[in-house]
Amino acid sequence: MAHNELILTNVTKRFGGLTAVDDLSFNVEDGQIYGIIGPNGAGKTTVFNCITGIYQSEEGSVKWRNEEIRGLTPYQIVDRGIVRTFQTIRLFSQMSVAENIMSGRHIKSMQSWWHGIIHTPASRRDELANWHKVEEQLDFFNLGEFAATPTGSLPYGIQRRVEMARAMAVEPTLLILDEPAAGLNDKETLELLETIFKIRDKGVTVLLIEHDMDMVMELTDYLTVINFGKKIAEGTPAEIQKNPAVIEAYLGSEDDDE
Amino acid sequence: MNILKRYGLPIFLVVLLILPNLLDPRWQAIAITFLIFSVVALSEDIVLGKAGMFNMGHALFFGMGAYITAILNSQYGWPILATIPVAVLVPALFGIIFAGPIVHLRGDYLLVVTIGINIVFIQVLQNNLGGVTGGPNGIFGLDGLNLFGWQLTSQLSTYYFAFIAMLVTLAVMRNLEKSKAGRALHYLREDSLASESIGINTRTYKIFAFGLGAGLAGLAGTVFATQYSAVSPEAFNFMQSVLFFSIVLVGGSSIPGIFLGVFVMFILPEIFREFSTWRYFVFGFAMILTMILRPHGIWPASFGKIPKFLIKDTDHGA
Ligand SMILES: Nc1ncnc2c1ncn2[C@@H]1O[C@H](COP(=O)(O)OP(=O)(O)OP(=O)(O)O)[C@@H](O)[C@H]1O
Ligand SMILES: [Mg+2]
Repeated sequence: MAHNELILTNVTKRFGGLTAVDDLSFNVEDGQIYGIIGPNGAGKTTVFNCITGIYQSEEGSVKWRNEEIRGLTPYQIVDRGIVRTFQTIRLFSQMSVAENIMSGRHIKSMQSWWHGIIHTPASRRDELANWHKVEEQLDFFNLGEFAATPTGSLPYGIQRRVEMARAMAVEPTLLILDEPAAGLNDKETLELLETIFKIRDKGVTVLLIEHDMDMVMELTDYLTVINFGKKIAEGTPAEIQKNPAVIEAYLGSEDDDE
Repeated sequence: MNILKRYGLPIFLVVLLILPNLLDPRWQAIAITFLIFSVVALSEDIVLGKAGMFNMGHALFFGMGAYITAILNSQYGWPILATIPVAVLVPALFGIIFAGPIVHLRGDYLLVVTIGINIVFIQVLQNNLGGVTGGPNGIFGLDGLNLFGWQLTSQLSTYYFAFIAMLVTLAVMRNLEKSKAGRALHYLREDSLASESIGINTRTYKIFAFGLGAGLAGLAGTVFATQYSAVSPEAFNFMQSVLFFSIVLVGGSSIPGIFLGVFVMFILPEIFREFSTWRYFVFGFAMILTMILRPHGIWPASFGKIPKFLIKDTDHGA
């Protein structure tokens, strides 16, 4: 059976003298909400960049559904069903919410490059069908009222939602979220939790980085903790909470940020 | 304002349709110039405005189209209209091949490369490479338009030829706006990494933009060769490219902005001959002021072209 499994094996990524990710291995299974935690600068975002093709790790392998995806470009990886959001929101800020979400339909659209020059009945149908898909995402993320608003002018919390809507418009199999709760207030964080559960219930596997410990404990099925690029523990949230190495490395340094 | 937005362009086109019949030959010629340079500026907008690539060699594609028409007509006796497919496809193909190795370059590097290739092109023309470009004097004495044996040599026919070229260009740009390819250009201009991360092969679409922009500029070149019955190198030199570049930047990558820019840069100097020596001076200042006061251009491009059914009534709040 072709499992929707993401398997990292001995992944190492260096920046000059700094080893940002050090011999890291973990497995994300189909249908999980999988968390990556660790102190600031631990290498979490770099791991995501290695999975999504923004960086290529020097060593190790990244396998997705039994295929080696290390070395593929970001858009090729999206094409295989892996989509991500960014820690620092990267929306197309001058464009409207609906247009931003429409970008997620790019790879699903049947249009060829030459439909940019001449339209056909089929390309018009495709265009309309994709806008309807955008409407579905607007409804799912409760963004309908902002459809025509440029994203740059929206509050942070809503921008985060738009970024997730854009990613979900791709209809991914694996959704990767880099600190989705960063900058959200309590109410927004609660809504985010619900949204992530709903996304999982749609059959999407979720891999996320999160700083907020309470949220991680509530949300994730399984966790990997990294520090200085190395895995220091893995397990269920309950196991991680009791792990002395984690308390030492992660929770200890938690005090001095925020 | 909404009415202007909605009906502005159709009204403008109707005016352009009727206009030449009211003008004397000198003004007709000026109007033709306006149409030709508008097509070139609009095609530069696809590369620079939409895809955000700093192409400062666009006059090269314009010139390539013009020279292809001139050479095929004067040396091989092709009717002008028959040269159109070649004058569009060869620059488009050249644009694609040329863009391949350079589109990944950062803005400033791309700028230098495109300037370089424009200069090389002019050198090739001036040195009469292959013995077909006529050297510094160029090629003159082209035939008039001829459609199935009809001689369309009047200036009015040339005007409508130019007008059709502009309609075609506007239609292409309109189609582009409402297509996956056109949106991809907007996305990659705003954030290339985010575009890649959402599944867009940015390289392909950048090359596409170059090819399309070059092809349309080539079409304008054919009209140019027809209008003047001649081509010569200086009409396509680096300085012309600078003008097209500035028009898109200062105009703000919108159709009205570009028309305005073409009018100021190419038409005012024609009307006021004295102004022609001043135009760089005046336009230089206009550029500086615009970039300081309105960094998105005088008439900035507007986004938000989304289907009506997505726009919810927000008056009563959510
Ligand atoms: N492009 C880069 N070039 C050089 N060093 C980098 C680069 N990206 C990340 N680093 C370094 O790699 C290390 C890990 O960074 P990373 O962003 O992955 O951490 P993180 O765990 O996501 O931290 P945070 O919680 O602050 O987001 C840091 O020391 C960082 O400075
Ligand atoms: Mg990070």
